[in-house]
Amino acid sequence: MVACLASLAFAALFSAKWPAAGLGGSARRGDASNGEMTRRLLPLCAAGLVAAALAGLPLLTFAPNRLVPGDPVAAGWPGLGPAALALAAGWLTSGARPGRALPLAALIAALAGLGVLGLMVGEGAARLLAGRPAAARASLGAGAWLAGFAFLLLSAEAARAIPGRAGRPLALAGGLALAGFAGWSGLFDAVSLAVEYRARAGAVQAAVAQHLGLSAGALGLALLVSAPLALLLLRGGWPARGVEAVLNGVQVVPALALFAALVSVLSGVLAWLPSLRALGLAAIGPTPAVLGTAAYVALPLVQSLAAGLASPDPAVLESARALGLTRLQVLLRVRLRLGAPLLLGGLRVATVQSIGLSTLGGLVGAGGLGAVVFDGMAQFAPDLILLGAIPVIALSLAADRGLALLGPREARAARVSA
Amino acid sequence: MRFGPAFASAALGLALGLASLPGVAATLATALGLPAGAPLGLERLVGLGRAHMVLALSGFALAGGLGLGLGLLAARAGARLRGTVDALATAAQAAPPVVVIGLALPILGFGAAPTLLALALYGLMPVTRATADALATVPPEVRGAAEAMGLTPAQVFWRVDLPLALPPILAALRVVMVTAVSTAAIGALAGAPTLGTPIVVGLQNQNGLSLLQGTAAVAALAFLADALVQAAGALLRR
Repeated sequence: MVACLASLAFAALFSAKWPAAGLGGSARRGDASNGEMTRRLLPLCAAGLVAAALAGLPLLTFAPNRLVPGDPVAAGWPGLGPAALALAAGWLTSGARPGRALPLAALIAALAGLGVLGLMVGEGAARLLAGRPAAARASLGAGAWLAGFAFLLLSAEAARAIPGRAGRPLALAGGLALAGFAGWSGLFDAVSLAVEYRARAGAVQAAVAQHLGLSAGALGLALLVSAPLALLLLRGGWPARGVEAVLNGVQVVPALALFAALVSVLSGVLAWLPSLRALGLAAIGPTPAVLGTAAYVALPLVQSLAAGLASPDPAVLESARALGLTRLQVLLRVRLRLGAPLLLGGLRVATVQSIGLSTLGGLVGAGGLGAVVFDGMAQFAPDLILLGAIPVIALSLAADRGLALLGPREARAARVSA
Repeated sequence: MRFGPAFASAALGLALGLASLPGVAATLATALGLPAGAPLGLERLVGLGRAHMVLALSGFALAGGLGLGLGLLAARAGARLRGTVDALATAAQAAPPVVVIGLALPILGFGAAPTLLALALYGLMPVTRATADALATVPPEVRGAAEAMGLTPAQVFWRVDLPLALPPILAALRVVMVTAVSTAAIGALAGAPTLGTPIVVGLQNQNGLSLLQGTAAVAALAFLADALVQAAGALLRR
């Protein structure tokens, strides 16, 4: 959950949607004053969250081994440092008017606070473990997670208050510099998550590769299937309605049930046709995971592809045909190119979904990061769960952001060629 | 015709429910050549189904209710907060329910609590976003005309804003309902007794019969719940 909160903060920080939301905003006065209030309140709330988290929640937990729940270790007086920096950042952000240097100072204060928090956590963990047996673990406490999340939120708010578009790159550069320093100096080496990762680096890296393979395989399969289905949908009539009904019906079936049903059906089919085993198909393993994931992500792909192909103006299609283009040329050069932005939106949804759904593959023996998460759940080892969960979340966010970056350029190209 | 999709879902749900009954499922399992095991008794099946529905419905109420409220607030607060809601919604979708359940396990322990948290996190933001977006698309002229006719702000909301914004909100609620049933099934991994339990047990013990029964029963519940939401939506849109 804490990692999830941190990921929320990252998305808020790096989301491309901010400028658009600001520009498209309604000009009604009531909205503006309410928005102004949130703008002032949010940084102060985040700063208060840092102070409360450091004062009331454990910064670290210490346990004699990785399985027993640890004893809380409070931040103590040093916690006043980051709390003061957070309050300063919050006050500077909420009081800042556009065009002043205050938001920049706020951003620096927020990033400095994050750095001090990191130092406290890293040093504290090292101090706790000094002279203890190797099995002892110092894990991040709820206070550290929450304060870190609030600091990210503060940095995002401060970055957004900086006039022009310089804020986000500045905040991103500052954050990367902090992360780079932490990695280079081995600041967090004593924290249990890093210890767990060092013990299983090979397995986790293999799981990431497997996970990417599962998601990419499902996405590729779904793309192959969705091209003819989208053409059917474009044509209309009862086949189109049938395709839509089946694809929508699949969405209703819970993922766990679909994966399990595929295991049953595949074992039945393989018992009838054992020769299929020679193709590498099996009832347990990647086959049901890839098939199930592909069945889910086919809907966004087919819908966006059909919508994209249907999007060009009839006049454009008419003139393309008048120019002597064949039906295939119209499809590939006009419909597909003009519909690309819509298809890209569907691809983005499908990619995020397929990364998430592949996690369930761990249940049907397909491996991947899901297997790491389920191992951690079975052993009740929080760090192992995090080792599986953090890459899943990071991969989804990276895929979403990466494909979103492609979007506007694609749209511009389509407009120019139109 | 308006109730057509709801009837189709209900019929499919009933058929799948039949297939999950011990006798029917046993015939199916033999036909598929599955490794047969001990079947799940009818009482156990019904009990698990009831627990599943309670968990899914409370998650639905939590995510749907909070989402509607937050969406209203976000719509009132204007475009700036809608940007925040959009960003949060995208980020919340990045952590699939299984992962949220896994992360919540060390904090909340085994049982229903991690599942409810996953449901709230995963279902909350789509409803919030849909409500805020739908209310924002109500044309200001329509609202202005209603105000000029002398309607109070509350009347404008109930008679103008809400009816015009209803379809996307209903669509989001339907997604949350389906997600709730699906996530409750995954909750079996965190020790919540649901219809996902026979699936997980069946996968672990190579019990094809229990696997088949759980699968059919979960899918049946999902389709029945979907039919319920669709029928409610059709009634509201009348």
